Amino acid sequence: MDKIQSKKLLNHYSAWKYIVLIVTIIVMLFSALPTWYGEDAAVQVGAKAGLNLTPIELRDKLMAQGVEVKRIEVKHAQHGSANNSEDGQTLIVLNDDSEQTLVKTLVSSMVSEPKELTLALVSAAPSWLQNMGFEPIKLGLDLRGGVQFLLDVDVQPVYQAQADALVESLRQFLREQQIRGASVRIDSTRDDAGLQIAIAFNDAAQSTNNTRSTIRQFMQQSYPTWQLTNADNGLVVKLAQEEQIKLRNLTVQQNLQIMRSRIEELGITEALVQRQGEHRIRIELPGVQDPAAAKNVIGATASLAFFEVKESGSVNAQVLKDKSGNPVYVARTPVLGGDHIVDARANIGEMGMAEVNIHLDRIGGQKMSEFSRANIGKPMATSYSEYSRDEQGKAKQTQEIISVATIQSQLGDRFRITGAGTYQEAQQLALLLRAGSMTAPVTIVEERTIGPTLGAENIQNGFAALGLGMGITLLFMALWYRRLGWVANVALIANMVILFGLLALIPGAVLTLPGIAGLVLTVGMAVDTNVLIFERIKDKLKEGRSFAMAIDTGFDSAFSTIFDANFTTMITAVVLYSIGNGPIQGFALTLGLGLLTSMFTGIFASRALINLVYGRDARRHVRV
Amino acid sequence: MKNINLTKWRYISSAISIFLMLASLTIIGMKGFNWGLDFTGGVVTEVQLDKRITSSELQPLLNAAYQQEVTVISASEPGRWVLRYADTAQSNVDIAQTLAPLGEVQVLNTSIVGPQVGKELAEQGGLALLVAMLCILGYLSYRFEWRLASGAIFALVHDVIFVLAFFSLTQMEFNLTVLAAVLAILGYSLNDSIIIADRIRELLIAKPKLAIQETNNQAIVATFSRTMVTSGTTLMTVGALWIMGGGPLEGFSIAMFIGILTGTFSSISVGTSLPEFLGLNSEHYKVQVITDTP
Repeated sequence: MDKIQSKKLLNHYSAWKYIVLIVTIIVMLFSALPTWYGEDAAVQVGAKAGLNLTPIELRDKLMAQGVEVKRIEVKHAQHGSANNSEDGQTLIVLNDDSEQTLVKTLVSSMVSEPKELTLALVSAAPSWLQNMGFEPIKLGLDLRGGVQFLLDVDVQPVYQAQADALVESLRQFLREQQIRGASVRIDSTRDDAGLQIAIAFNDAAQSTNNTRSTIRQFMQQSYPTWQLTNADNGLVVKLAQEEQIKLRNLTVQQNLQIMRSRIEELGITEALVQRQGEHRIRIELPGVQDPAAAKNVIGATASLAFFEVKESGSVNAQVLKDKSGNPVYVARTPVLGGDHIVDARANIGEMGMAEVNIHLDRIGGQKMSEFSRANIGKPMATSYSEYSRDEQGKAKQTQEIISVATIQSQLGDRFRITGAGTYQEAQQLALLLRAGSMTAPVTIVEERTIGPTLGAENIQNGFAALGLGMGITLLFMALWYRRLGWVANVALIANMVILFGLLALIPGAVLTLPGIAGLVLTVGMAVDTNVLIFERIKDKLKEGRSFAMAIDTGFDSAFSTIFDANFTTMITAVVLYSIGNGPIQGFALTLGLGLLTSMFTGIFASRALINLVYGRDARRHVRV
Repeated sequence: MKNINLTKWRYISSAISIFLMLASLTIIGMKGFNWGLDFTGGVVTEVQLDKRITSSELQPLLNAAYQQEVTVISASEPGRWVLRYADTAQSNVDIAQTLAPLGEVQVLNTSIVGPQVGKELAEQGGLALLVAMLCILGYLSYRFEWRLASGAIFALVHDVIFVLAFFSLTQMEFNLTVLAAVLAILGYSLNDSIIIADRIRELLIAKPKLAIQETNNQAIVATFSRTMVTSGTTLMTVGALWIMGGGPLEGFSIAMFIGILTGTFSSISVGTSLPEFLGLNSEHYKVQVITDTP
């Protein structure tokens, strides 16, 4: 007895360990439960949408169109705070997920502000579970159906614009300083044109030594972000590396912002807009079935510019085509660019024509005011440019005149343009303008659409495979390790519960189809921990130890092997997660988490069980 | 007697492994891979049509519409077709309209991957493979003596090459999911090797007088039942994935299935034979004996 007291009790876990174990499993069970219920598609009607129907009327109207509604929730105002944005919101939860878009169109005809409608997904779990703050696992697009875009932000034009501005400024400086014989130009022979500016001197300028130092001084004072190096007959100016990175980051950030606001306009609450890598943006639109509409909003990087119209055949003009392909002669530089636009809205004008009302910022208003005062009665053209990508993958710009209007009076910071086409087209244009002006062209480089039926099919197949794999494994373990098999099986079930619970808890964790494959693999591999331990216990029993002793030494000697074996798989999981993209990350996540949970349940939970049941079993020659 | 047979078996199977590896490398060199959309870029569309329609009816319609040779592959279910073509100016043609003369068309999914993205993904995939290999190499050389580690690494390369050769031979599509499977095989193949190597190390320390062949045989016998059970359960679950998982996971399951099979085989044969050839003996673990036992 003394011996046992001086060491610790053999095969004994203190009470707090059991409490930790049981609490963990219960919490994880609650966290995993909502996933079992899944999610329902819903249409959310904002309070400001102007829906003047009672829930029952609304249901009857939808029923008449053949739409089955699960329930309609109206969030009532609390304590008289009528201005709360949540108040008066109506949530239409549907029976059939594929009818989401249909219902949105139906409801939009019943409200005055269709913009207040959004597509949403709500948890189908009972409300007591939702009130505890547990939510279902987020499903990837391959399981849910939807559209995914990968956008490429072309930063080159931003650098180009910087370089253009510098060239202008340098030329002006040279004129002011009356330095002759020096020419400034962008070095276009290089691939990354726009990043390098060459200042070449002729012989006369070359001889005067202080030309170089004057320019150097000017550059240091006014453009410290540019680096100067000496060349054979002049100077070479380059944008510093850090400045390039900074500009790139700013540009991508700005585009992210713009994309988010554009996506908001589409009314999808679950949409994801994320930066990927150096200059890519990933957009996921779950539930969207028609990529064309989304593509029009995302893909086009529209900018608007106002031009003075020149007489046809004029030399000092550029030629742009209008919609029907007729040439329009306009000034080389626009009066005003789209970046001065603050707001743009589509309206039906007095003549029943669609028009876009534009609101400019102060500087834009001043410029427009000056220009229009001098040009009353003359035409002004509005050009619409869009960046797209050609077959070689290079960004190209298409510019089109969308309207030529006669200036009726002096324009201020608010005016309207007509002739943008139908009301829908005017709305589209207004939306693009409102979302902001693009400084860098953005093009779609990857587009994936997964139909909702295919998504549902993937879930079904994945979970069928998981169920079958789990069933076979449970059966096999029970038969193979009769006495200890049930321990391994309880550990395996606990493992799955914890794994699902963790997936639902971890923010940003998404379950994808390869992720389900990872789960299935985990089932097969998770028993390995138990198998290793059981085999060691068998060995020790053969050596003639008692069952209790064999359990103790078996667990201890198996630990380092278990750790070694799992560590290498962990390495691949981490590498896959850090380098992979969406679906593959899902696989890496379940694989890695599965390893951790299988070690927790395989070592800790199964030891706890075995201690309770066999911990004091002093028999020898037990068959395991 | 039994042990001599086991040694002999190990040597013969190692020779077979090396022969198969060389054959695999030749196959990969000659046939290359059928790279998936993820790596090549282009457009893949899956459509559901009437079950009676054949590919010979589809082909001319598509070729005319897209002005290029459209690859038409029948998918896992009848009436389902996977169409693959290059992303050109004509690829904006609406597929449902093109196939309208054949009856009702349901477009199940569409993926368009730009050529740049494909190239980048291929680079990233290669990088992932390389980084994972290097990390594993680093870990193994830290954990085991280099002769012992070399066996595990050789077995690992063997498994990966074998799976790759299978995909090259059958010309099954090699896409991102298959690449993920190959990376997972990296981890799992090592699993068996490490467990046997662990035993060898233990035996080398416990019974330093034993001949190395005998040590290896004993280690294999001691771990054999575990190797069979774990490989068995993993094969069963991967098999379930193969049967029930449907088209998108088919390549993944097949790759994993072969990887686990060869992984088990190679860790018993080449994985233990190579350290023997390199002259592994108990001397290499003598220093640890002194420090490890109090």
